[in-house]
Amino acid sequence: MIRTRGLVKRYGGVTAVAGIDLDVESGDSYGFLGPNGSGKTTTVRMLLGLVLPTAGTVEVLGAPIPKRARQVLHRVGALVESPAAYGHLGARANLSLLDAAGPGGSRRTRRARIDEALEQVGLAEVGRRPVRAYSLGMRQRLGLAAALIRRPELLILDEPTNGLDPRGIQEIRALLLALNAAGTTLFLSSHLLAEVEQLCRRVGVVDRGRLVLQDTLAALRAPTGAVVLRTPDPEWAVGLLDGELAERSGDRLVVRTDDPAALNARLVGQGIRITELAAQRRTLEEVVLDATTTSADRPEAS
Amino acid sequence: MVATGVAVLVALPYAVGALPARDSAVSAGALLDAVRSSADVPHSGYAESVGGLALPLTEDFTALTDLLGARTRLRVWWRGDTDWRVDTVRATGESGLYRDADGLWSWDFERRSAVRTTEPTVRLPRAADVEPAALARRLLSEARPRDAERLPARRVAGRDAPGIRVRPAAGGSTIDRVDAWIDPGSGLGLRVEVHGTGGTRPVLESAYLSLDLGTPPPASTRFVPADPATVRGEINTDLAAAINVFSPARPPATLAGLPARGEGVGSVGSVGSYGTGFTLLIALPLPGRLSRQLRGQLADSPGATRAAAGVRLAVGPLSLLLTDPVDRRSWLLTGTVTAATLDRAAAELAR
Amino acid sequence: MIGVELRKLVRRPRTWVVIGLLNALPTLVAVLLAVTDLAPRPGTGPAFLSAVLSNGVLFPAAALAIVLPLFLPVSVAIVAGDAVAGEAQAGTLRYLIARPAGRTRLLVAKLVAVLVFVALAVVVVTVTAYFVGTALFGTGSLDGGAVGAVSGVPLSPRQAVWRTVLAMAYVAFSMLGVAAVALFLSTVTDSPLAAAMGALAVLVASSLLLTLEAAGALQPYLPTRYWLAFVDLFRQPILWRDLVRGIGLQAVYVAVLLAATWANFTTKDITS
Repeated sequence: MIRTRGLVKRYGGVTAVAGIDLDVESGDSYGFLGPNGSGKTTTVRMLLGLVLPTAGTVEVLGAPIPKRARQVLHRVGALVESPAAYGHLGARANLSLLDAAGPGGSRRTRRARIDEALEQVGLAEVGRRPVRAYSLGMRQRLGLAAALIRRPELLILDEPTNGLDPRGIQEIRALLLALNAAGTTLFLSSHLLAEVEQLCRRVGVVDRGRLVLQDTLAALRAPTGAVVLRTPDPEWAVGLLDGELAERSGDRLVVRTDDPAALNARLVGQGIRITELAAQRRTLEEVVLDATTTSADRPEAS
Repeated sequence: MVATGVAVLVALPYAVGALPARDSAVSAGALLDAVRSSADVPHSGYAESVGGLALPLTEDFTALTDLLGARTRLRVWWRGDTDWRVDTVRATGESGLYRDADGLWSWDFERRSAVRTTEPTVRLPRAADVEPAALARRLLSEARPRDAERLPARRVAGRDAPGIRVRPAAGGSTIDRVDAWIDPGSGLGLRVEVHGTGGTRPVLESAYLSLDLGTPPPASTRFVPADPATVRGEINTDLAAAINVFSPARPPATLAGLPARGEGVGSVGSVGSYGTGFTLLIALPLPGRLSRQLRGQLADSPGATRAAAGVRLAVGPLSLLLTDPVDRRSWLLTGTVTAATLDRAAAELAR
Repeated sequence: MIGVELRKLVRRPRTWVVIGLLNALPTLVAVLLAVTDLAPRPGTGPAFLSAVLSNGVLFPAAALAIVLPLFLPVSVAIVAGDAVAGEAQAGTLRYLIARPAGRTRLLVAKLVAVLVFVALAVVVVTVTAYFVGTALFGTGSLDGGAVGAVSGVPLSPRQAVWRTVLAMAYVAFSMLGVAAVALFLSTVTDSPLAAAMGALAVLVASSLLLTLEAAGALQPYLPTRYWLAFVDLFRQPILWRDLVRGIGLQAVYVAVLLAATWANFTTKDITS
């Protein structure tokens, strides 16, 4: 669905994207992660033909971008950074204008498709109120509706739940999961790890314009070969586990072991009480923090 | 690519203008003859005249000030010496002179006035006088071939025009030379430049930018007043004409050694006109009210000097002298003559 | 796409506010003239105005002369300057490009919308002025409704209408240069205000240089040089010289600027 090779973008002397190879398969739900300023947005803009690459190739739905954007981009729904609309017009007029502005949006079915999209994002009852009077959350919903009007095969969404209240986030998440289940490929660019963790099966992590990690969420969060346990008797346990102990914080111990069952039996056999014992998995946050260096928000001496 | 295109487009008019003109072997004398007999050559076209004289005159003389001090855009239809139309085109209007056998219509759009007059014998310069062909005739008609020399041809209004340069025969003139480029076939002046002594830019230049040598249709020179309510009949076109008729003063037959011009001076009018070629001296008797006004204006203008007989001012090659009143009458002396000639003329008139 | 841009144009309240304001000035002038009966002194004030008191049929031409130097170019610059920069500022440009609207198509549609606006503005000004003029000043006292032209000879009503139509066309065409400058700047900057102001700066500079004798060599190339030539349409016969040059000059400006606009916009990174 999305394939980039050696994608590079330079603005003058500043390299925003320094060679990214993305692979998003059909039906995927892909989380595109990275700190602010890592080249995430520039990459998304290159996927949509907004920014022209300095070097490298972009393929979306099998067609090169921007060369053959006209043939494929109408099958892609997009939300780039923030939603945008004409403030003096209502939701329906905005969607109608946008739909009429490009190929693939049949005039005959337009009204029905707009109604359906507004229904999906929960704006069905919005009426003729001008967008100017909308709340942030309503604008976000309208932006999503605009991405959904043509029932796209691929959704490229940048921070889709931005500005929504918890219930709104819940609704949109459910909508996206349902769309994905029905075959729509999701490409989610975000810095909200929780959101990606709940929505995506695969993630790619960019840092300073490079893709530093691209794998399934499951693989990234695979057991590390250590066990995390909690005990009310940590001193005792530490004495016993001498060489195997990797880390200790209060009553939480990380123990390297190949056989958690044997470890448990051994500790319990010594009379040590265990309140919790689980194979260690890294959180996505840890994975991302490991893979990335520093936030671009924070100036560094170089 | 865009930049190259622009450069070509900008350069194109200059390139066309720089095309060499084909010269012909016509002699200066033959050109002068052709110019003299060109009064009835029909033509029509668009000409621009640029005057370089800032006359310190206002009120009754604004038309003259504009004519000699600014750019005048002219549309010309010429069927003959007494059948022509010359329009002065302005951004927000126009004024037109329509000459027919019996007289002259003067139309002014902004004033909504249509004035019918007879052609006066003496008058102030008007737009039709700077029409290049008429100007060339006026300036060159009295020139002798030995005062004239040929200049290389120039392209004027798309025609190859051999040039001629005439210098004043007699001394005492402030005009250094007149350069004219003439259509050799018709004798029409296509471009005329009047140069004063000193100064690099011509004090008056007038040239056709487009010219058609066909006879314009009769309707083109006929004035039909759009609104009869605006029509006035007047005997005199301008102040000079009025003075010429009404003033009891009579100018002498010669002034400062210059002979009177043949234009009816001394017999009927009171305005004297002297000199030959483009050496010109005019003596205009002014009644008390007018001369007081003018004296004030002249005295206030920078460059005005006090002469023995009155206030003197030189604007480029044009000199003016307003004598002090004698019997409540002053003389305005003006022309393309030196200050010394003016002083002499003033002294003669005061006798 | 063109339809979309036209819908945006007519549904935008600003379009009608601008056109309304454009009409306000000539109408105010007409009312003041009618009430006070004071025509401007000859040679001062906009063209035709001194002639309007006796015949309202010339008021459309006078209205064009009133709005031509400033109001019309300002409104055209605002609309054309907003064309791309306005979308960029609102953020809708990225959605249009990603839609995908096609950059060239979008530009053509924007251009057509600007042209329609120019035509609309000129037509509305002229038609309003016709009704205001004839209502306040009457249709003149001449036989058969003839109109006194600039040259003093009468124009038949038919000729007068034709020349007014030609004048409208010429004035509208004269505005294309402004529109092209503003459209070009609109693809350069993301601020519609900056684009409009830039275009106006070009016009002010051009008008200033036109008053300067020393800039004589430049003058034939200045975009506003031949604007007032529409007055030549009301001379008898019509003086085509400046009109033809004006059309040629505008055509060159439009061609060059549109080429630059296209080259800039199709290779531009949309980062707004």
